[in-house]
Amino acid sequence: MKWKKYLSLTRAGILEALQYRLGLFVMVIGNLIYLIIVYFLWRAIYASAGTDVVNGMTFSDTLIYLVLATALFAFMEMYIVWEMGRSIQTGAITLTLLKPMSYRSYSFWNCAGGVIVQFFCTFLPTFLVVLLVTKGAIPLGINLLYFAVSVILSVSINFSIDLFVGTICMYTESIWGINIMKQVVVLLLSGATIPLAFFPEPLKTIAYCLPFQSIYNAPLSLLLTANPQPSVIAETLGMQLVWSIVTMGFSRLFWQVSLRRITVNGG
Amino acid sequence: MSYIIEIKHITKEFKVLNRHEGLKGSLKDLFSRDYRIVRAVDDISMNIAQGEIVGYLGPNGAGKSTTIKMMTGILQPSSGEIVVNGQIPYKNRTRNAKEIGVVFGQRSQLWWSLPLVESFKLLRDIYEVPEAEYRAMLDLYRSLVDIESLLHKPVRQMSLGQRTLSDILAAFLHNPKIVFLDEPTIGLDVSMKAKIRTLIHALNREKQTTVILTTHDMGDVDALCRRIVIIDKGKMLYDNDIEHLKRFFGSYRTLKIRMDGDLQQSAEAIAQQMPEFRVSADTDWISVLVDEEQASVMAVLARLQERYRIRDMQLEEISTEAVIKKIYEEGTQ
Repeated sequence: MKWKKYLSLTRAGILEALQYRLGLFVMVIGNLIYLIIVYFLWRAIYASAGTDVVNGMTFSDTLIYLVLATALFAFMEMYIVWEMGRSIQTGAITLTLLKPMSYRSYSFWNCAGGVIVQFFCTFLPTFLVVLLVTKGAIPLGINLLYFAVSVILSVSINFSIDLFVGTICMYTESIWGINIMKQVVVLLLSGATIPLAFFPEPLKTIAYCLPFQSIYNAPLSLLLTANPQPSVIAETLGMQLVWSIVTMGFSRLFWQVSLRRITVNGG
Repeated sequence: MSYIIEIKHITKEFKVLNRHEGLKGSLKDLFSRDYRIVRAVDDISMNIAQGEIVGYLGPNGAGKSTTIKMMTGILQPSSGEIVVNGQIPYKNRTRNAKEIGVVFGQRSQLWWSLPLVESFKLLRDIYEVPEAEYRAMLDLYRSLVDIESLLHKPVRQMSLGQRTLSDILAAFLHNPKIVFLDEPTIGLDVSMKAKIRTLIHALNREKQTTVILTTHDMGDVDALCRRIVIIDKGKMLYDNDIEHLKRFFGSYRTLKIRMDGDLQQSAEAIAQQMPEFRVSADTDWISVLVDEEQASVMAVLARLQERYRIRDMQLEEISTEAVIKKIYEEGTQ
């Protein structure tokens, strides 16, 4: 009974996402175009490098990684920053604040619906295509399970970061620039645009110290390794769990402080 | 008697940055700490009983929305006490939320792209309404309005009137103790306005729901409210029955007469004859605003008939609208 309201919100999110069929098609096509660009870009990079292996990754390694990262991005994007920005600007946020649940869980469960739809529309097809085309480059075993756990943690971290960035909108009342900045930072430092293996050493160290790499790099490296060491699995998932808790804590604290500022000072 | 809403001397102040003009001023503003305090609500007290419909009126920017935001718990008063349904709203916002419903005429809480019934089901789950109560509520709705045609229609395809109607139904769905209606009839046609007023009235009567109604449409007030509260510039101007309001301003009625000849000249002559009343003329009628405490309308009519051949007459009660207009413009003094 207690979970019913959350599941109901997710259900509504799914229904809502399915209403916009054209949007879903366009999203799939947009991703395809992006992937074509990625393919030619990296082919050129490998051609100019003159070797088959760059930074320990072959061309097909890199490509598989980036294709899946793109699919993962398309699937996890919750558009929460946009949503928050818009509802703060228009004042529609008051209606959500007057619901008998916290804003955080309300938006999480509502957006979860869209994420589920996107999983089936973008990630799963891409994954299957990569699986068929590369014939065995993706190991199918226990790693899928680790990957699934890892992705759930990624979604949680991604959500917390989005909520944190969205909260900034309460102060700035504009969101466009902040959101673009967030996207660039997250996509770069998470290894979604360029595999972390290609980063220069200092930047790599920085990236590993930040939460972003836990979003894309962590699940993908678990997925693409056939028999990972238990210590590696524990480290990756442990790191994600820690980041998930830390980002949740920070975003929650920031949201509450900001909300309090609004209730005291008015918005 | 216990009240569902108790407000004692609440005040709400906002800190606003003093903005300067022009490019130079705007640059200066980036680093300015030059704030001024704006008092949006200034020492307001009222008690509202369960089941009342209270018209909460005031000109634009009077502080109505701020008061409502304090009652719903979105804003915390700078000083004073506010208790809604036994709780302090800003401390227990989510708990308070279960017992209130809101309709903001300008925006919708419904899920835009989904059929109305999906929004209802979702609200049922969010507010944890038991299935039996939900069904009973839908049956009640069916008896009041024709919702069958609306239930399976996506909200984005609805007309403004249908959407507002749906929003009101959605706000009452979890049988809240209090419903805040913020300009529910804004932008609606006459017949839709009437429909919505009937609906609000019926729901209030059936469920004993307390309704706080802000509006600029005096038709809403006349149709629904027995009690009205008027504020302006954050200060309380009036809190009493609507009948009392008219007496409060003297018992004015407007006598309108039609006669031959130049109405403008006749009006001036009448004004000289009866300096105690305001006389005006338009192309068809001469209007005499009679204060019944000084003379009855019949006596005035008799006096006029002695001197003029009156061809037609009308008597107008002073409208709520006129009284409210007078209060907004002149205050209660």
